Amino acid sequence: MAKHLISLTINGDTYEDLVVSDNQTLLDVIRGEVGLKGTKRGCTTGACGVCTVNDANGDAILSCMTHVLEWDGEAITTIEGLADTSDLDAIQKAFVHYGAVQCGSCTPGVIMSAKALLNTHPQPTEEQINEAMAGVLCRCTGHVKVKEAIRNAHRIEEVVSHAAGD
Amino acid sequence: MLLPDHQYVRVDSLKDCLKSLRENGERTHVVAGGTDVIFNMRLRLFQPDIALSIRRIAEIKQVEELADGGLRIGAGCRLVDLAENALINERYPAFADSIRAVASSHIRNIATLGGNICLKTRCWYTNNSEQWRQGVKECFKTDGDLCHVIKSSSLCHAINNADTPLPLIVLGAVLTLQREGESRDVPIADFYQKDGMDHTVLKADELVTHVTLPPCADRTVFLKIAARKGMDFSQAAIAARASGTGTKAGEVSLVLGSISMAPIVLHEPARLIAEQGITDAAIEQAEEKVRAELGELTSLYARAGYKAHLAKVLVRRALKALREM
Amino acid sequence: MPPEIKPQVPKDNPGLTVVGQRQPRLDGADKVSGRSVFTDDVVLPGMLYGKILRSTHAHARIKRLDTSKAEALPGVKAVVTAAHATGMSANSTDSVAKASKRRTGKTIKLKTGETIFADDVVTYIGEEIAAVAALDEATATKALELIEVEYEPLPAIMDSRRAVRAGAPQVNEEFPGNVWSQDIDNYGDPDTAFDEADFIMESKFEAGVTHNLYAEFHVALVDFSRPDKLKIWTPTQTSYLMQHSLAPAFGLSVNQVQIIHLNTGGAFSGRGAVRPHHYVAVLLSRETRRPVKVFSAGDEEFLIGRALGKNRYKTRVAADKDGTLRAFDMTCEMDGGAVGNEVGYFGWMAGLSNAWMFDLQGNRFQRKVILTNQRPNFLGHGGMMVSSNCAVQQLLAKVARSLDMDPMDLLLKNAVEQGHTGLSGEVFASCGLKECIETVRRESGWDDKYDKLPPYHGIGVAVGAMAAGAKGAFKHDTSAAMVRVGEDGLITVYTGIPDMGQGTHTTMAMIAAEVLGIDANDVQLVAGDTDLTPIDIGAFAQRGTITTGNAARNAAIDARDQLAVYAAEKLETSVDNLRFAHGQVSRVDDPQQSLPFKEVTWGTLNSMEGRFVMGRGFYNSPLPYGTTSWSFDAQVAEVIVDPETGQIDVLKVTVAHDLGRTINPLAVEGQIDGQVFSAMSQVIYEELVTDDGLFLNPSRLEYKMPRTYEMPEIAHFMIESNDPYGPFGAKEVGEGPVVVAGAAIIAAVSNALGGTLMPEMPMTPMRVLKAIRASELEKSQSQSAA
Ligand SMILES: Cc1cc2nc3c(=O)[nH]c(=O)nc-3n(C[C@H](O)[C@H](O)[C@H](O)COP(=O)(O)OP(=O)(O)OC[C@H]3O[C@@H](n4cnc5c(N)ncnc54)[C@H](O)[C@@H]3O)c2cc1C
Repeated sequence: MAKHLISLTINGDTYEDLVVSDNQTLLDVIRGEVGLKGTKRGCTTGACGVCTVNDANGDAILSCMTHVLEWDGEAITTIEGLADTSDLDAIQKAFVHYGAVQCGSCTPGVIMSAKALLNTHPQPTEEQINEAMAGVLCRCTGHVKVKEAIRNAHRIEEVVSHAAGD
Repeated sequence: MLLPDHQYVRVDSLKDCLKSLRENGERTHVVAGGTDVIFNMRLRLFQPDIALSIRRIAEIKQVEELADGGLRIGAGCRLVDLAENALINERYPAFADSIRAVASSHIRNIATLGGNICLKTRCWYTNNSEQWRQGVKECFKTDGDLCHVIKSSSLCHAINNADTPLPLIVLGAVLTLQREGESRDVPIADFYQKDGMDHTVLKADELVTHVTLPPCADRTVFLKIAARKGMDFSQAAIAARASGTGTKAGEVSLVLGSISMAPIVLHEPARLIAEQGITDAAIEQAEEKVRAELGELTSLYARAGYKAHLAKVLVRRALKALREM
Repeated sequence: MPPEIKPQVPKDNPGLTVVGQRQPRLDGADKVSGRSVFTDDVVLPGMLYGKILRSTHAHARIKRLDTSKAEALPGVKAVVTAAHATGMSANSTDSVAKASKRRTGKTIKLKTGETIFADDVVTYIGEEIAAVAALDEATATKALELIEVEYEPLPAIMDSRRAVRAGAPQVNEEFPGNVWSQDIDNYGDPDTAFDEADFIMESKFEAGVTHNLYAEFHVALVDFSRPDKLKIWTPTQTSYLMQHSLAPAFGLSVNQVQIIHLNTGGAFSGRGAVRPHHYVAVLLSRETRRPVKVFSAGDEEFLIGRALGKNRYKTRVAADKDGTLRAFDMTCEMDGGAVGNEVGYFGWMAGLSNAWMFDLQGNRFQRKVILTNQRPNFLGHGGMMVSSNCAVQQLLAKVARSLDMDPMDLLLKNAVEQGHTGLSGEVFASCGLKECIETVRRESGWDDKYDKLPPYHGIGVAVGAMAAGAKGAFKHDTSAAMVRVGEDGLITVYTGIPDMGQGTHTTMAMIAAEVLGIDANDVQLVAGDTDLTPIDIGAFAQRGTITTGNAARNAAIDARDQLAVYAAEKLETSVDNLRFAHGQVSRVDDPQQSLPFKEVTWGTLNSMEGRFVMGRGFYNSPLPYGTTSWSFDAQVAEVIVDPETGQIDVLKVTVAHDLGRTINPLAVEGQIDGQVFSAMSQVIYEELVTDDGLFLNPSRLEYKMPRTYEMPEIAHFMIESNDPYGPFGAKEVGEGPVVVAGAAIIAAVSNALGGTLMPEMPMTPMRVLKAIRASELEKSQSQSAA
């Protein structure tokens, strides 16, 4: 099969001259050629959300459901790109603090879905949370603490420092 | 599992797209959002030589206001954008509801209106992996001549499971289908065929480019029943429209979806209500007329008996909702 | 009677500083930033991709199997079939048989000698026939297509009821009539109880076929390129049983098998045994002398995963008019699938557990495991106890109704208490069941709601108990742990127990930190690699906190005792006059005199004597057999049923769980939430729809589970009965709640339909509508009779 050279910006790093083939999805290349393993391979049919990344608009995208060639020249963010070098992102902190992580296998996709929501709705309503997170499946937490973490992400610094002060 | 071997072709203009379809239409599968195409390619149910990406065609990504108060919507618009579009929410609330009812926000972020309208029919004897399918006989969808769900049938009974076509039908939407050098307008009501294989009148070299919505001052509603909220195909869905106010309804239309190979326009129940108004008695009578218009039902994804039951429930609920508007 | 033992710490004033705090997971930061490595993320140099060819027939003779074309395909490195695995069987749980024999006086049959590959006959769809290893996934897939199999279909039997009829096709010639096993267990005196009771009530209940549906699909990466070392990366609940199964199969000693389980993406009782794909990956690696990864793609997961099969219960309860429960008699017909295996044993556990909550005269459980050409079965989340408890608790609500008694009063009247000796000799050394019942009664607003809610709005209660620890299931319930002390005061706990998400590793760190008086964040874990970690039979049977927790505690005490030598010298006192707390070591008689913990570790490790501190701890329950401790649980669920669509909306679940002692409230709440979710999912949604042994909905889309919108409000109450055996009094919260939540929800639905018994789970809308019709029929009939 023919190979193509594409460029893809992931977490601010531009990967020039990635060699990809027609039948690869964005997920295949993130995990394979690029070698970032934080984005997990789940059902690969759009139903579980574990492969979620954010596009340049900050929207949640299922990386298993799109040709990598579709993304030539575009920029995406994966779970590895949320935290800067020194600190976790607010939503990541909230997931740890509120116990929204258990086995951790769905967590990267769940967090990238939550991040997409918070990008546009920093203090989302219950309905907005339910809507944004219905596309992911987390048997461990039953989504309960996931929702709690999302609800409180906007004030996580305060919450954590308060907890530490106790 | 990788996608099967194929050539990915991206076109950035409608002209290039139609040219490509003329040259290779038969060997091509159009990819808009790809949420259904990629799914089925992974399962090796679709094995096109060419996947033609239309995601960047600017000409089919606009929403235009028409002079008559209607809208012309590009088939390439993403569902997420349409769901948030103020004009659509204001003028066609039932349509807006149906858009929000599709899958999950993840999928709506990339899926398009055209893809939803053209969504291929689904069946759980085929929409599983190739290895899985080796456990069942070949059927219409896999080059055999058998239907697993109605064994005696000479047709494929896979389900048309798309949500947005239902309000589009009651709203009288018209689809613009283009092929190189030619364009035709087809009312969406005539777009679908009762055949799981050949489920629309779209030709291999054609593209759905636009959806035109005439103005609508009537009451409309869209209701969907699924196993769970937020992320599921419909077990049954309905779009309904009525002119007038309260129990008075001059014109009524009722369209059921997801229970058969094509959306079902209910004639007798609608006629009854138009005649008698949306009264409890008329609703009860209308419900009784539903089953006869559903045709042969299958137990695909939900039991046939349950689908027949839901059809009645939805008719009742939709009519009551209209009456309250 | 076991020896009288004293709790480790007092109940009300235990002086704990770490235990009881809301401790975020120690691996949380790694998991939220994508750094945590799961098996599928590992790529080894020279790694090959393995794929398995599976039977497409439920029952057929393999007339011809030709792999030559696949072998000839460039890029294919090995093709293996039954010929490569002669004499090998997928046995894993022999020690289980030994232990249960002691308990019941007879051996529960566990294994049929399931083979790795079908030899000449396939007995279910998905059975392994051959496998390939190739340079990449695409080549492996192509190679599978080139393997030619010619089947001669044989009559298949899909339904366990038909399987036992005369003339039914035989699944396995060794088991005439397809009866794999048949057992009756009598505890106490059920005959007298049924003879003498004022009345008997009975019901039927069925539970459907499921999958555990964890987030991480089955995967095994094997490196067997050196003949004396077998390395396996795979998610599992037990590296111990994997070692013990694989070692003999490949002529190795147990510790020549190294299991690396990294992170395990959920298990829900579905990863407690070695499966054919593990053996297949080993065979492929042995053939090629290269690492091989076998990953289940998409719907294949539903063929590899083994959960519950169809179970049909008949339940009878004997009771007196004053509400005294006398005995249960449950009969269960279990579809053992094509292999049978452990399911009879799981049935036995369900039968036992039915009775734990009540002071009964007798309990009988009869079970028949029947072979069919369905997928082999194993455990669901909560084992079979989710469904058996649904059957029992609904019936109890009906008993209460028939006596005009509030179900809460019925439960309270019959509930066991601390010190009670159960019918199979179990002694409840701690028990907070009554407090659980009273708590949910109060907190759910029960008295204002029961029988006062509008039509189709219901409330239900259920209770349950769960054995903590594997003694009784296994001959030895062993865990060891090591605690290494760094000179900088950082502690490393070595444990062999997997953390599949339940939070056990953090619990172990907290236990060690409590003993050493330091912050749990100053503890790190070494886990998930059998070359490094001490013996531990695994994460099942709710043994993590109680068994491994005691081992970790013992190891920390050992380390503390070693540090105490130096501290006592410095503080000029004796070793037993020291307190380790808040990062300080101080004199008990004069708390002002203290040393920072880090000074003690520094001083100890840099002493002239060269004291290297490694605490060693071990735990194997002191009882010769049988469990030491049980958790107890009561829950109230409130639901609304839509009488038009048959859909169920769970509004709220109130949970009171006697876990002995709460070590980490954050993790406990998470466990309860997940189990309420899972139970709700099992009783309302989850079911594999089959057509002649073929799963029609093998996907995360069509195998229904609830999502965000469906989740009810959950209220948690932790009841601390301070178990004398548990570390700091702790028992379990790993599976106790799931077996009660489902029963409470089903009782609530039954209540919403005016007390109509729900005959089947999951309660799909269609079944709910049927139940509504039945209840209306019942109503109109009783009206016309009146
Ligand atoms: C997990 C999951 C859940 C889902 N749930 C729902 C649901 O609840 N309701 C629902 O309706 N759908 C659902 N879908 C199906 C699908 O995602 C949606 O229908 C979506 O709108 C399809 O749009 P798309 O742009 O991604 O289509 P694509 O996958 O790109 O295309 C779908 C089909 O339409 C054709 N096509 C696309 N655009 C055009 C065009 N302009 N002209 C001609 N042909 C065209 C394609 O060739 C293809 O055959 C679900 C899918 C998944 C994976």
